[in-house]
Amino acid sequence: MSYLIASSLEEALTSLRDGSGKARAVAGATDLYLQEMPYGLVDLSFLKETTVIEEKEGLMSLGAAVTHALAASSPLVLSRARALAEGCAAIGSPQIRNIGTIGGNVINAAPAADAAVALVGLGAKAELVDINRETRTEAVENLYWTHNRSLVDSSKEIMVRFLIKPCLAGEGSAFTRFAARRALALPMVNAAARVKLEKGFVKEVRLVAAPARPAPTRLLKTEELVIGRPVNGETISMVEKAVAEEIEVRGSLLRCSARYRQHLVGVLVASALKTAATRAGTSGKAGD
Amino acid sequence: METYTDPAESLLMVLREKLGLYGTKAGCGKGECGVCTVLLDDRAVNSCLVPVGKVQGRKVETIENLSRGGKVHPIQEKFVEKGAVQCGFCTPGMVMSAYALLKENPRPNPDQVRVAISGNLCRCSGYKQIEEAIMLAADKLKD
Ligand SMILES: Cc1cc2nc3c(=O)[nH]c(=O)nc-3n(C[C@H](O)[C@H](O)[C@H](O)COP(=O)(O)OP(=O)(O)OC[C@H]3O[C@@H](n4cnc5c(N)ncnc54)[C@H](O)[C@@H]3O)c2cc1C
Ligand code: FES
Ligand code: FES
Repeated sequence: MSYLIASSLEEALTSLRDGSGKARAVAGATDLYLQEMPYGLVDLSFLKETTVIEEKEGLMSLGAAVTHALAASSPLVLSRARALAEGCAAIGSPQIRNIGTIGGNVINAAPAADAAVALVGLGAKAELVDINRETRTEAVENLYWTHNRSLVDSSKEIMVRFLIKPCLAGEGSAFTRFAARRALALPMVNAAARVKLEKGFVKEVRLVAAPARPAPTRLLKTEELVIGRPVNGETISMVEKAVAEEIEVRGSLLRCSARYRQHLVGVLVASALKTAATRAGTSGKAGD
Repeated sequence: METYTDPAESLLMVLREKLGLYGTKAGCGKGECGVCTVLLDDRAVNSCLVPVGKVQGRKVETIENLSRGGKVHPIQEKFVEKGAVQCGFCTPGMVMSAYALLKENPRPNPDQVRVAISGNLCRCSGYKQIEEAIMLAADKLKD
């Protein structure tokens, strides 16, 4: 087995190409190490491109190999993309957050992965480059093939960074989850919301929940109902009902029954919306 | 330290089987229990999940590094004083999580202590004495 700690993106792409499908990109290895290990690994944890968090020309850029711990404590993420900081802070344990990454969380493609749900809630796009140096940019929710399978082929393609429109004045975001314990427990349901208010009324909104389908699921019908309304008690009750009608969740022997999950999903999406709207209302110039 | 091994081997197995450092314990092997906690570049990680190839040229600290000149570290001292050790199997991992916390945040509050040890399971204690021992160690280290 070979293990390369890549010192440049170029070197990483060249070794993936030389690996002819037998080498694979890796970041924290918290998922990959528990699966079948490939013949060669190309570690992306130390590249500038994959580890930087910055805001440039009105867009936030977060390296795909940013760890959950880093994203959860970054002042930029906390002020401009709070849902992601909250999603990352909920993952596993300190040990897992110190090494597991946001890109790995998306590519592992677990249906209720916390960082992935927050990223889809924020409307993040991923920038990828393949061994032929071709780049593409995709909405995160479009990177899922089926349950636990990503459309990203990590033997040929590297996810470099996520691009997120920062939450500015009048905008807010939030993430919520419910699990049996506060640490080391996958969520029964998780949800994220992003909202833009104008004079107290919803101008733009994104509502996302999981697990329902392979990718974190956008609740387009509920979003439509919310547009133009104030986020008050009536809207929140309406969202709870509308979500439970729009999305169909399954029960899990390990985590919870379908009925309970169906109830939870409405409650959690509504709660994320409420928090996001509160943040939007108090955001002033500083973002959420 | 230098050793020759398969880079896919876990850091945990290399520490124990190749380097003879048995202080770091082997438990679930899946990141769920925390007994294998070590510091990688000053941050707590589960050594059972780290392929050793990742560790080339980086700093790894294990429980063996905590005592100095035959004297145990203040965290270890307070664990003993508080009776935070029963069977002791979780203890090296707990101590390393506490050590990582105090390196980053020398004055934690009880909530921060709870988060810091939330990846470490203990089957014997109720966690209370462990929490208290870490708070006392923080006090002692401040002086
Ligand atoms: C004990 C435990 C608890 C956990 N709890 C949670 C939890 O509560 N919530 C949650 O959401 N997740 C949880 N996880 C899952 C896991 O930690 C995350 O999915 C993690 O974010 C994966 O990131 P990584 O860097 O470790 O990925 P890796 O294991 O390095 O990679 C995962 C996959 O992505 C590919 N890959 C990684 N980075 C790139 C890249 N930049 N370009 C191309 N391909 C890439 C790899 O080839 C691999 O297929 C837990 C895991 C463990 C072991
Ligand atoms: S043995 Fe590593 S976490 Fe359990
Ligand atoms: S003292 Fe026995 S597991 Fe913690």
